[in-house]
Amino acid sequence: MASKRNRAASVLAVAAAASLAVVGLATPSHAANKITIAFVMGAESDPFFQAMKVGADAEAKAKGVTIVWQGDPAVYSPATQLPIANKVLALKPQGLVLIPTDPVALQTINDKAIAAGIPVVNVDTHVKDLSKTTSFITGDNADGGAKAADAIATAIGYKAGKTYKVVVGLSSATATTNVARLDGFTAAVAKKYPGIKIVDKAYSQSVPATANTNVNNWLTKYPDLAGIFAIDGTNGAGAAAALQAKGLAGKIALVGYDAYPTVVPLIASGVFTALVAQNPAAEAKLAIDDLVAVINKTAAAKSIQKNVVIPNVLLTKATSAADLAKYTYVAK
Amino acid sequence: MSSPVVAPSRIKSLFGNQQFILLLVLFAMVAFFTWRNPVFFSNAVFGNILADWSPVVLIAVGEFFVIVSGGIDLSVGSTIAISGVVSAFSMRALTANHVGQNMTLFLGLLTCVGIGILVGSINALLITKARIVPFIATLTTMGAGAGMAIVLTGGSQIGDGPAKAISLSVPDFGPLSRPGIVIVFIVAILWVIMGKNRFGRYTYAIGSNSFAARAAGINVNRHLAKVYILSSVLAGLAGFYYYLLLSVGAPTSGQGGELQAIAAVVIGGTALAGGTGKLSGTVLGALILTTVTSGLIMINVAANWKQVVVAILIAVAVLIQEFRSTGGTGSGPIRRLLTRNSK
Amino acid sequence: MTTGKVLYEVKNVSKNYGSVQALTGVSLKLHAGEVIGLVGDNGAGKSTLVKVLSGAHQPSEGVVELDGEERRWDSPHDALVAGVETLYQDSGLAPHLSVSSNVFLGREKFSKGLLGKLGFLAQKDMDRIAHENLEKVGIAVPQSNRSVSQLSGGQRQAVAIGRAVSWASKVIILDEPTNHLGARQAGEVLAVIQQAKKRGLGVIFISHTLPHVLQVTDRIVVLRLGKIVADAPTSTFDAESLLGTITGLIEK
Repeated sequence: MASKRNRAASVLAVAAAASLAVVGLATPSHAANKITIAFVMGAESDPFFQAMKVGADAEAKAKGVTIVWQGDPAVYSPATQLPIANKVLALKPQGLVLIPTDPVALQTINDKAIAAGIPVVNVDTHVKDLSKTTSFITGDNADGGAKAADAIATAIGYKAGKTYKVVVGLSSATATTNVARLDGFTAAVAKKYPGIKIVDKAYSQSVPATANTNVNNWLTKYPDLAGIFAIDGTNGAGAAAALQAKGLAGKIALVGYDAYPTVVPLIASGVFTALVAQNPAAEAKLAIDDLVAVINKTAAAKSIQKNVVIPNVLLTKATSAADLAKYTYVAK
Repeated sequence: MSSPVVAPSRIKSLFGNQQFILLLVLFAMVAFFTWRNPVFFSNAVFGNILADWSPVVLIAVGEFFVIVSGGIDLSVGSTIAISGVVSAFSMRALTANHVGQNMTLFLGLLTCVGIGILVGSINALLITKARIVPFIATLTTMGAGAGMAIVLTGGSQIGDGPAKAISLSVPDFGPLSRPGIVIVFIVAILWVIMGKNRFGRYTYAIGSNSFAARAAGINVNRHLAKVYILSSVLAGLAGFYYYLLLSVGAPTSGQGGELQAIAAVVIGGTALAGGTGKLSGTVLGALILTTVTSGLIMINVAANWKQVVVAILIAVAVLIQEFRSTGGTGSGPIRRLLTRNSK
Repeated sequence: MTTGKVLYEVKNVSKNYGSVQALTGVSLKLHAGEVIGLVGDNGAGKSTLVKVLSGAHQPSEGVVELDGEERRWDSPHDALVAGVETLYQDSGLAPHLSVSSNVFLGREKFSKGLLGKLGFLAQKDMDRIAHENLEKVGIAVPQSNRSVSQLSGGQRQAVAIGRAVSWASKVIILDEPTNHLGARQAGEVLAVIQQAKKRGLGVIFISHTLPHVLQVTDRIVVLRLGKIVADAPTSTFDAESLLGTITGLIEK
């Protein structure tokens, strides 16, 4: 009796744990003559990709295309992306949108698909050799960093000859988006605003509480701090909470990145001076349009632009409500 | 077989006392950081340190109970994440339905505790009924919890909860915030329970010799279940604390929390083998960890050095344990590990 | 044969683990104030019999009677509560706990009033009583608040036996209590067994050290291949005949 009960309990526990753990591969419904396009992206947890998925789903619906959306739940790494990409190719989609986590490691997948007659579009990042790839569509992170520098300079009323202390909160020292944004920011500051000194940098590993700790300590360390560039959403959340808790919201310029629904309202309330928004939905839409044109061999296939850079936009108090709504990422 | 111990001299026993050494380390750190940057010695910095310490000490104390019982809980970090986001979802829904802020926060707190009880119960069932070793059992719930937090939120932070949440994390009591005071109170109660209550006694006994504990009539499985549930509930409370701190539930909150908790316990002088250790050591261990974070930022050392400093602290703590367990004769656990094959 | 009343009895007990027959039709009587030596080669079924007697395992067949009443132990705790104490080989104590915490493990004394109801311990009382109880059975431990890991091997074993003897109200089962002990320490342990006997307890003493068995027991039960092959007063054995009976060279 007792052992039977124990057994049932343990089975229940295992089942509960398993149901929590299972993130299975979705199988596409191969409806007759319906095009299936596979998206193999970086990390599902990144709202950037979530926003991209919203754009992809909308365009897929409009074009009558089926989307297979796959990527590691959390880790942005070729080690996890490669097996996923292989499994997706085995499903034989008609087109592939690849967001390679590594330019070299994912080249084989890129070429394997093309060799099998599956056209490939690279989005956001690209493989080393793009010669056979249909197109490459990306946002401009360096330009976003430069725009952030402009926004901070405007907010603090930058005047030549004076010095201003600014800090940068990053998530990772190596992620290409972080690096490009920081490079763009640093270059713009050096060129246009030499009075702005970047006095500190720290990494949050995508944990907002860590970003919050960093900003709290900076606020104590630099009582005359002029501005904060929060390079991604987690740093933005940490910095916004620190400024609000210390009653400094609006007194210190805060420029964030990515237009999450949780932070867009904080522009109006003055916590964020500005947000730099990308347009991942537009990237996905264009990727699908390119692939559909190639698959259906339409006239548009001949005029596909091989390299597309979709610029980042700056959202401020002056931005119209309609534009704010347009660029706000759709999230759960 | 150990020989009878000679009564140690007072000074020797003071230095053999891990808590005393930890206090010395803490004072030395404060002195060093203050020397390099006088701003360090201020209410504002202590406030920053205690704000970081509050959630870390919660999971560290939970981890302490688990480790003393002879187990390990790797799921505390992801329990912070999952409780934080589920509670954020519920508070967002309550706010949208115009439920009062205090009521919303209270229900959000209950949600975190409930998620803690759920995760702890799953851990307990896996360990005591399915007989999976704690490392693997809690590794499972760690992965599942972190995955669920991401799946549920799609990676986004969940906000739009009660507006007053952020005001609660402001330090009102010297360097401590109101939630910080509550956490100090909780830790104090657990400290008394560990030292003076049957619950603490059984935790030590099971970690020391679970066979003897069972033979003495202790319901070992039931007790272990309580210990794992306690650990997860404390992690759930930490999840709620992070919500108050940030006004959002973030799926990445608590990432690496299990390592912080284990580091605090080990630095606090508790042996991973179980059966022994002082809760006050863990409290100080957590305080040292968070002091390092703020200190390094204040003296212009890249915060990534924190990991190196923490690694050194862990190594020193283990060496001290080694020394204390052998009186310097060099036959402690590390020595035995190193010479195991030669015997 | 001892004339005290029959305290603890197993009747026709068999135990099998799957297809392995560990005990076959074992019957055994233990009287009050009697010390039985249980001997046998490795694999003879001693540990299985100890597990049945201590409540760790239930017999596949046969019954266990305490004070003439049939009992069924669902756990060692059941047996413990009924007055049957078992001292397991080498694993009876929690080394990190103090002597008194070990003596009172699972039977803690609580503070008076509300705190006690909440599980708070009366540690000073336990320290004092543990010291007294151990002294009563002839064990002198310098400080009962000292951690067991600081005691010598002999002292640890003495504490473990002292604990079992001071709690046992009826029967005490000692599994290899003199293992790994020096001559003097083993002598102390055997003295404690005599104390228990004087207090009217029934003692089952399991050991490989035959001189100890011959020295301290009233009756010797020899197990071989899961069966009792001899059950006779100790006076009828000498070292040689006992060894012969265990190995099967002498049929008794």
